[in-house]
Amino acid sequence: MPDDITIAIDGVEIKTQPGKMVLDAAVDAGIYIPYLCYHPGMKPFAACRMCVVSVEGGRGYPAACTLPVQDGMRIRSEAQDVNELRRSVMQMLIAEHPNGCLTCHRIDICGPSDVCLRHVSVNDRCVTCPKNERCEFKDTVRYLGMELESPLNYTYKQIPLEVADPFYDRDYNLCIACGRCVRACEEIRGDNAICFTERSGKALVGTSFGSSLLESGCEFCGACIDVCPVGALVERSHKWEKPRTVERTVCPHCPVGCQLNLELNGGGELIRVVPEYNSPANRGQACFKGKFGLEFVNSRERLQQPLIRRDGVLVETSWDEALDYVAGRLADYRGDSFALLASPNGTNEEHYLAQKFSRVAMDSNNVDLTSNLQPELTTALEQTLGHGAATNPLWQLEQAGCILVFNSNLTEDNNVAGVPIKRAVQNGAELVVIDPREVELTRYAHCWLRPAPGTELLLLGGILREVLDQGLENSQWVEAHCEDPATLRYYLRILDLDEIAGITGVSRDGMAEAARRFGGADNAALCYALDNIPPDLARDCVSALVDLALLTGNVGKPGAGIYPMRQGANEQGAWDVGCWANRLPGRGARRNESARRELEELLNCPLPTNPGLGVAATLEAAGTGRVKAMLLVGDSPNLGNGRLGDGLAALQNLDFLVVMDTFLSAPARLAEVVLPRATFAEKDGTYTNLERRVQRIRPVFRPRRGEAQPEQWVFGQLARRLDAPGFEHPSAAAVMDEIAQVVPAYAGLSYARLEAESALVLRSGGLESPKPTQMLYTGREHRGLQWPVAGESGAGTPVLYLDGFPSGKADLIAPQFRAPQDILEAEYPAWFVPGRVLLQRDREMQVEIEADSNLNRIVRDELVELNPADAAAWSVAEGDAVEVQTRQGRLAGLARLDAAIPPGTVAATILFGQLVVDLQNSPEPDPMSRTPGLDILPARVVKRDA
Amino acid sequence: MAPTFQELQAQAEQRWQALTAGDRPWIRVGTALCGQAAGADAVVQALQESLERHNAAAQISQVGCLGLCFAEPLVDVQLPGQPRVFYANVTPEQAEEIIASHIVQGIPLAGSALGCLGSDDGGGDSSDNGETGDLPDLNRHPMRAREQRIALRNAGNIDPLDIYQYAANGGYRALHQALTGMTGAEVLEQVNISGLRGRGGAAFATGTKWRFLAGSQAPVKYILCNCEEGDPGAFNDKGILESDPHTVVEGILLAGYATGANYGYIFIRSGHDGPIDRTRAAVAQAYDLGLLGRNILGSDFSFDLEVALTGDSYVSGEETALMEAIEGSRAMPRYRPPFPAQVGVFGQPTNINNVKTLAYVPEIVARGGAWFAGIGHERSTGTAILCLSGALNYTGMVELPMGINLQDVLYEIAGGVPGGKELKFIQTGGPLGGVLGADATDLVLDFEVFRNAGAILGSGGIIAADEDTCAVDLTRVLIAFCQYESCGKCFPCRMGMSHLLEVLERISRLEGGPEDLALMRNIGENMQAGSLCGHGQLGFNPVSSALRFFAGEFEAHITERRCPTGSCQTPWFSPRLSRR
Repeated sequence: MPDDITIAIDGVEIKTQPGKMVLDAAVDAGIYIPYLCYHPGMKPFAACRMCVVSVEGGRGYPAACTLPVQDGMRIRSEAQDVNELRRSVMQMLIAEHPNGCLTCHRIDICGPSDVCLRHVSVNDRCVTCPKNERCEFKDTVRYLGMELESPLNYTYKQIPLEVADPFYDRDYNLCIACGRCVRACEEIRGDNAICFTERSGKALVGTSFGSSLLESGCEFCGACIDVCPVGALVERSHKWEKPRTVERTVCPHCPVGCQLNLELNGGGELIRVVPEYNSPANRGQACFKGKFGLEFVNSRERLQQPLIRRDGVLVETSWDEALDYVAGRLADYRGDSFALLASPNGTNEEHYLAQKFSRVAMDSNNVDLTSNLQPELTTALEQTLGHGAATNPLWQLEQAGCILVFNSNLTEDNNVAGVPIKRAVQNGAELVVIDPREVELTRYAHCWLRPAPGTELLLLGGILREVLDQGLENSQWVEAHCEDPATLRYYLRILDLDEIAGITGVSRDGMAEAARRFGGADNAALCYALDNIPPDLARDCVSALVDLALLTGNVGKPGAGIYPMRQGANEQGAWDVGCWANRLPGRGARRNESARRELEELLNCPLPTNPGLGVAATLEAAGTGRVKAMLLVGDSPNLGNGRLGDGLAALQNLDFLVVMDTFLSAPARLAEVVLPRATFAEKDGTYTNLERRVQRIRPVFRPRRGEAQPEQWVFGQLARRLDAPGFEHPSAAAVMDEIAQVVPAYAGLSYARLEAESALVLRSGGLESPKPTQMLYTGREHRGLQWPVAGESGAGTPVLYLDGFPSGKADLIAPQFRAPQDILEAEYPAWFVPGRVLLQRDREMQVEIEADSNLNRIVRDELVELNPADAAAWSVAEGDAVEVQTRQGRLAGLARLDAAIPPGTVAATILFGQLVVDLQNSPEPDPMSRTPGLDILPARVVKRDA
Repeated sequence: MAPTFQELQAQAEQRWQALTAGDRPWIRVGTALCGQAAGADAVVQALQESLERHNAAAQISQVGCLGLCFAEPLVDVQLPGQPRVFYANVTPEQAEEIIASHIVQGIPLAGSALGCLGSDDGGGDSSDNGETGDLPDLNRHPMRAREQRIALRNAGNIDPLDIYQYAANGGYRALHQALTGMTGAEVLEQVNISGLRGRGGAAFATGTKWRFLAGSQAPVKYILCNCEEGDPGAFNDKGILESDPHTVVEGILLAGYATGANYGYIFIRSGHDGPIDRTRAAVAQAYDLGLLGRNILGSDFSFDLEVALTGDSYVSGEETALMEAIEGSRAMPRYRPPFPAQVGVFGQPTNINNVKTLAYVPEIVARGGAWFAGIGHERSTGTAILCLSGALNYTGMVELPMGINLQDVLYEIAGGVPGGKELKFIQTGGPLGGVLGADATDLVLDFEVFRNAGAILGSGGIIAADEDTCAVDLTRVLIAFCQYESCGKCFPCRMGMSHLLEVLERISRLEGGPEDLALMRNIGENMQAGSLCGHGQLGFNPVSSALRFFAGEFEAHITERRCPTGSCQTPWFSPRLSRR
């Protein structure tokens, strides 16, 4: 860089850039300066004074973390006087931190499991600390070469441990009050669940007023644990275990694609998860699912052998026998009576093979994902812009001036995507949320529009009209880049805003404000899901959203764009490689005749021509007997939660069901053959996250017991037995090579190419140099590649459409703005609108310790919020004990009348803490994959007897 | 519609005339913190009841602190057109007598009066005038004889809740003068010429500080006025805000005009109720009369001012911690750079001044910087506002020109040590300022002289201790304060203070060991070198200065296990706030 400047640290000259702090420059250059409160990625705090240095010709001992670099600066760090100052602070720290082992003369010869005969209480030993050998504090003590004797009196703080909250243990006796956790919670996560407490010698961190984390606004993301330099904050599970090996892979829970470091113990068990700091997708962050929800890989309940039903009972068998049997039976169901439902957490390679297996080996287009409840999520996006995927990188959300979040429970479904949004809001960006439900982001929203369920499309029409009326349209850009804007304008002009306000329940001011904020921003981004959009409106809703982004000129530029929030970890990949109803790999819709021919030529085999069935249609067809045989990969909560009707009953109706799963799930119990499926941590492949980033996942371990196999192997074996050609891939890499041939967006991608996109990250000092755990595991930065990739050596494409649209102009679609008529039945006359937030400051609640588990739980009455008019009609008064009944369940609470609740809806917002307690106590082996969503359902309200 | 300045002045004049030479006597009672502590509220009530009983008419005003805190409750009676007569240490019973004699019969109680002042307030000889002729002139009282009142010019003379009384005594004249005849740069230049330096403790040149802010082109800039004043023995900031809040408001306005800032906060420690109430009232009045808000006095200059409160924390007086507190965060200091003049409160350029510093500004602008620079001693121009407390005959708040030596301050002005005892040491500039031995009294009031002597003139608090005070015990108390008030952010201060206190407690329990002095030095010096803000950097001063002057006493505690003054033998209570 031309503006490089040179500084010297202990005589070693390093290049750096103006604006950096000396400590950052040192870390970049691999020079170690001790620190405890500093953490890369957070603002400097300058509290621990461990990084003090002296500047030649300067005064005193400034802290390197807050000392801006200057050209020619000469820093002294490893100097006698500087280290003396550091030692004096460390000496005081040791006097209030358990230190039996830190100051022991035998420390160098003491093995990890030696029995100690010294007169040091167990509390005071490092070997009995959960963070032993991963402790930055201990490492720093060693680095400084502390004296064994201290003239200071040691005081154990005697603070009771906090061990009743979900997932974490907190032992503030070990806390050194560096404030990293508080800053991570506030600065990075935007939650402010924890804070500093007390002051002077008693200063500590904790929740305000010492409340439970359940009521503090904690999202249980574990960010505080990841940055804690001592043993004060630790994961409860496997608390005392030390990692033997650490491997990097990608989280299977959602499409953000967080890179995680999995710590394994000597027995090859997963003991802990540390999000990767140098990962472009998550930047060191994770969420409750990724951090605490991967232990299912260790489960003893995992299927170990293939099972086959004999005399009505599933019994263990060999792979050969199972595969022979399955192949033999499947041979009878070639064609439309076969369907394959794949799991959203399969890899790209597996998705590709799944669709190929269905199409080539089974001659059936019935292939889809079990998570694909909204197949129209990106159809209109692709049609209008060219690609059915997010236009911009996730973390560019941080740079947006305004963010619109549409019908997405984003902080739970795609948690880490919420981090850049919250950070943007903290830094002054505006947030508009359109959602009938009260979700976490509504607490941050500058403008929260709460349309009556089902009227979202109409509301979008109103906002678009306001964009026109307020002159917020970027007409010049629209004329240059969009096809036929006049039609859309015409359809917008005929909308009656007052009528829309009446139907949606959103005031005209609200629509005007949303339009003003979104259209008025220099660059605005739009995140959407279709959580509760009626299926027949879904496509048009997306069109309207794309129109909004286009009219305001927010496509094809950094810090703006449009993000479809998908659900499953690799749904984007499934869409790309054609593991999707009626989509051919890289060729869009199946109906496209020439595309099919092209593909047939590429694959050198005929492809089926009949229309395929999506997951909903497949289950319906199974119910009616049109589909007779099914290969189901993975379990899905959707089969049992009513979103797909009675999915399990439909499965029962099949002639032949093969389930490939990790656990003996409810569908597996119905199957004739059950094949044990390897988890994400045991396979090789790639995931494509929702920002189109293709990232490698790696086999972290072999299944500890049993013979679970990845789908790739299974499809290969079955195809061979069915004499289907084209399944002879020796490795996942070979499958990717084929994908690169077949899918244009993936052209140029290969494992070698992905490997080349990684870089060594400098590690300062030798092994003895202490680093935050997160940094410790950072050996290599894996950037992945965002498709489309330009050529063999070309770079990925972070921002789509920078140079215009593939078809020249974006095809503006004018949807028919409408709302469904009276879809509620008399039996359930209202919409139940559930909500979930992290913090409810205004609600009183009690947290009790449950007797059998010794864990906290929330005890309170839920509030059922009703419009006063509805309440009068149902003769419910304020404070009445009521019950909300839906077809799926019921919720008891106290009625609260609120005119802000739209007529015809019943709202209840529960606390996220409650969900976390439920997940923690869940008997399911993989509860995080079954986190209940917030579905809006037809409901009725009845009074309970007092 | 806000009045013009001329209308304001005319009305103020008229009201002042009515008060001093109208148809009824004017009784002023000091109800600042010192007065209230001495029982002024009961005196006011007694005066009112007595007036009613005698069916006499008189205007009773609650004024601020005249500086003679030892004499509180101080009642000042002025018959129309006559000199003011001061009664010291008035009890409710005496109040009754004062009314009966002085108001009703017009005969001052010559025997119990402290003195009198001429009717033209604050200055001049009292003219020989009838019944008051025998009374001593209050201006010859040692506490007042050498005073030169600039910042305190109105203190004790006017009702702080009445903006007209301030205006009648030259108030807002400087503002009017600046807005009509001077540019902001000219105002700044006058402050620069005056050589005014920050009275908060660091003695940084105010003009230079303002120039930093004036140089910033940011659209939003802030002027902060700091009245955290948590030092034990310091009460002059509170005293000024309680006695004459408008002079500070005017000072802030001039600072804003000079630097191009349009927003301000007066930051007062919560719990200082008198200053808070009176400042809030002053701000409200200024808004009412168009002296705050948009287009002040019809000019283009607009300024908004708000009173903000701290939590109960000493460190929130540190400028960056103060900004955190104003923003609603926990009051913990920030690191520098960036300095407040670049990135201050709410991320905007900010200037922060002490109450006293700003209180000088109106007079500097009105009379010119050169006039101010002519007062004082070398580079320390102007006056020092001292808070005299402890073992002294006359305690209170005095404003003396810089350059007077401490000998005179302690023995002449403050009247020496009561009971004929020996002065042992003085403690200046707050607990962090450390102590000076009795032989240090040849120092003159001057920032550099004090600094060179290892002490801080700082905010002007001087606590005197006599021979009965144990140096070790006093050091322990000072460190207990510093320890309790550490914010807990930076490690050296958070833990260093606790360990210092632990060692001092050990020594004053007569259980100290020979290594303890070295240990304290080690902790303290590292705290000095390593701490983030002044609290930790200066936190060792009480110990180091005590060790310098009273090493023998520490030795006696440690090696002979005895306390020379005897105070450490008795069982004592110490707030062990450091540890559980």
